[in-house]
Amino acid sequence: MFTKRSPLTLVVSLMTAATLLAGCGAGNAGQNNTGAATPAPSTAPSTAPSTSPEPAKSGGEVNIYTARHYDVDKELHAAFTEQTGIKVNVVEGKAPELIERMKREGASTPADLFITVDGGILNSAKTEQLLQPIASEVIDKQVPADLRDKDNNWIGLSSRARVIIYAKDRVKPEQLSTYEDLATDKWKGKIAVRSSENLYNQSMLASFIDVMGEKEAEAWAKGFAANLARKPEGGDRDQAKAVVAGVADVAIMNTYYVGQLAASEDAEEKKVAEQIGVFFPNQQTTGTHLNLSGAGLLKTSKNKENAIKLLEFLTAAEAQTKISAANFEFPVNSEAKLPELLTSWGTFKHQNIDFAKYGELNPKAVEIANKVGWE
Amino acid sequence: MKKSLLPRSARRQINGWTMASVIGAAVVLLPILYVLTGLFRPANENWDKVKQFLLTDYILGSAKLVIFTGFFATFIGVVLAWLVVGYSFPLRRFYKWALVLPLAMPPYIAAYTYSSMTGYTGVIQATLRNRFDLVLPPGTIDVMSDRGAIFVLTLCLFPYIFMLTRVFLERQSASFIENARLLGHKPLSVFFRVVLPLARPAIMAGVMLVLFEVLSDFGVANYFGVQTVSTAIFQTWFGMYDVQSAMKLAAWLMVAVLGLFMLERLLRRSRRYASPTSRSNPLKPQPLKGIAAWGATLFCTLVFLLAFFFPIAQLVVWAIETGGTVWRSDFLDLTVNTLKGAGLGTAIVLLIAILSSRAARMFDSPFMQALTRLLSAGYAVPGAIVAIGVLAVFIALDEWLAPFYGMLGKEEGALVLSLSLAMLITGYVIRFMATGYGALEAGYEKMPKAYSEASRTLGRSSLATFFRVELPLLRGSLLSGFVLTFVEVVKELPLTMLLRPFNYDTLSTRAYQYATDERVFDAALPSLFLVLIGLISVLFILKAERS
Repeated sequence: MFTKRSPLTLVVSLMTAATLLAGCGAGNAGQNNTGAATPAPSTAPSTAPSTSPEPAKSGGEVNIYTARHYDVDKELHAAFTEQTGIKVNVVEGKAPELIERMKREGASTPADLFITVDGGILNSAKTEQLLQPIASEVIDKQVPADLRDKDNNWIGLSSRARVIIYAKDRVKPEQLSTYEDLATDKWKGKIAVRSSENLYNQSMLASFIDVMGEKEAEAWAKGFAANLARKPEGGDRDQAKAVVAGVADVAIMNTYYVGQLAASEDAEEKKVAEQIGVFFPNQQTTGTHLNLSGAGLLKTSKNKENAIKLLEFLTAAEAQTKISAANFEFPVNSEAKLPELLTSWGTFKHQNIDFAKYGELNPKAVEIANKVGWE
Repeated sequence: MKKSLLPRSARRQINGWTMASVIGAAVVLLPILYVLTGLFRPANENWDKVKQFLLTDYILGSAKLVIFTGFFATFIGVVLAWLVVGYSFPLRRFYKWALVLPLAMPPYIAAYTYSSMTGYTGVIQATLRNRFDLVLPPGTIDVMSDRGAIFVLTLCLFPYIFMLTRVFLERQSASFIENARLLGHKPLSVFFRVVLPLARPAIMAGVMLVLFEVLSDFGVANYFGVQTVSTAIFQTWFGMYDVQSAMKLAAWLMVAVLGLFMLERLLRRSRRYASPTSRSNPLKPQPLKGIAAWGATLFCTLVFLLAFFFPIAQLVVWAIETGGTVWRSDFLDLTVNTLKGAGLGTAIVLLIAILSSRAARMFDSPFMQALTRLLSAGYAVPGAIVAIGVLAVFIALDEWLAPFYGMLGKEEGALVLSLSLAMLITGYVIRFMATGYGALEAGYEKMPKAYSEASRTLGRSSLATFFRVELPLLRGSLLSGFVLTFVEVVKELPLTMLLRPFNYDTLSTRAYQYATDERVFDAALPSLFLVLIGLISVLFILKAERS
């Protein structure tokens, strides 16, 4: 971590010279800086009181770096503030970029919680030694152990299954069985999937490396890539549209996009959702691939109690029900109510896997995808 | 002789201007230099894999995109500019400004809009299917491809070339073109032998902007599945979790772009473009008749519809459908944030652009040339990479200033600068220095040096010379520099994502929030707001230009 500083020394020394010049020259640049700094939200000074050992019931704040960008999250944060008086400050960004920012900020980082949508990335925050254990009996009760880090460095907030969807008019669910089956000649030219540059696919391939072993996973990826009906393009929703349009017969996609399609404001998208079926593969064998959205507690958190309070709030049945209803994600708290669409799919068995593997094996997955030509 | 002259001339020139230029340059250069240090980082095994599996394809992908987009955008931009300046035809007055409007459209929004419009559930196929029972075979309209990316990027970027070329031709070309016409040159010959060579600096300035936009584009390429160096950078970073190799790749991209810069400069070197008559009479357009007139109108209309009207109309329809659920009371804040960031960023860009283009004019040396190129290099690499450079410098600055913060009573290790808006604004300045600098440089290039020298000889101070002589002549360049930069910052996304302070959302981040979740319809309302701000600023400038 600290080796990164070495090229910086050059830059810093250059900067010293520049700032010295700035000091004696016109205060132009400096003024611009301070002028711009004033409207920034309250930072260090106002956090100071909240770090005192007395956890004031009202007031204080909690700082989140999050890669989740859903309206429902904003609503829940507002509800939390109303309930507790704790202000929630948010920086939204892409997960790897936020990790980079936290790493560079080091011990000074203002972030208390890091929230993202992939178990692998949560784990890479852990291996970068950014996180600390979350100690809360409430959370232990609300989040099952298999949806948490084994050292409690992060917890799941919601999950999504990566399933096979099929054209109801051309494919019978009995024809479908496993992910492995999709790599056989039976499906030649009949599969749609998005690019392997997408994290969902990388995590899925990483999970296969763990479940099947590297060699088998590579063979699978090769067969699978050869069966694609078209060059990967677009997002998950576009794969469903490709199936309905007749480009492909089956596609791999995330359950929560199926929900979004069904709830779309656009009549044509709704029709697409009606014409596809959802199939949970590998029920007799290794289970369907599941991904987690979750939160990690920063090692350097200055508002630790507030952060844990927020996590307790977000994993309580009430908030979980809201997340699931708005986003069609599966709740981690079993007491939460599912929206009708999700209950209609019934229960399913998911891969029994340590989510940390997604992170560890991600580079390998990318390498395999590149090697077998899954664009 | 020369040796004894240098110190004195240097002493004369070392004043507030040079000091300010040095500071401005330092602010911009440090993060760029930080990115360039990537060249010297040790290569790891990921770097080898990148080289082995990705690099050739991705360089070819980038080259293809750059060449085709560059060609089409130049063709459309220059032809349209010449049409509206050199000829009169129906609707000419309207298209003179309307064809600049696509600038307000962020390419990635256009990409999402076009792919949804032409896709299976989009308005075209859905109408054919539901009204006429006509099902297009899959792949009939395939926007999500290399060709689609070239199409979208061309339509979003040609206005750079159109705008710069048009302004140039309007102001500078009248006497040459009228003479050529008098001497009996045919229209095509006027275009190829007079217009093109004459407008070359303006065209090249526009082409450079387009090329950099294409090279640094991640949004369109990523969504359409086109493999480019930019997407390779992010695949290395996000996929292999290897920031070091990603930075190394970005550094090489930057070097390649600097090389391109130098090459263009070298090719232009031997020619002079300064025009002794800075206030020449405007060119009188020749009236077109019959088929030619309607042909010109048709071409303008086609480009306008495709680049602006259709996507905007689609966004309006979506915004009406989804407005109720997407509208939130914080839209005003988003708008204010967007304007604040763009306003501050643009002002500083122009300030530094004036300082540095002036400095480059005074001390015209290869070193100075290289330095000013380096100043603009932020435009050619993806925003997120620039952001890392800025982050590194600001955090180092905070560490360095820690004792000072302590005296002010902040807690130990507090981050002040890097949690302030100043960091984001600095990011904007570095990323978009090129648009401001390019405009100012072109402005100075048209202005004979003798003007400033005469003013100085007559005893005016450097400052007075600037305000009394140069500024009035630079007005047009400043205006186009302002609008180009302002609209860029309004559209900016990746820097904002990575460098923003807490609770700071802009229209662009709000649009992204929905678009990244494949909720294109919901992204329409913030996108429209964003386009509207861009439009207002473009119209404002056009009005100012006319008066």
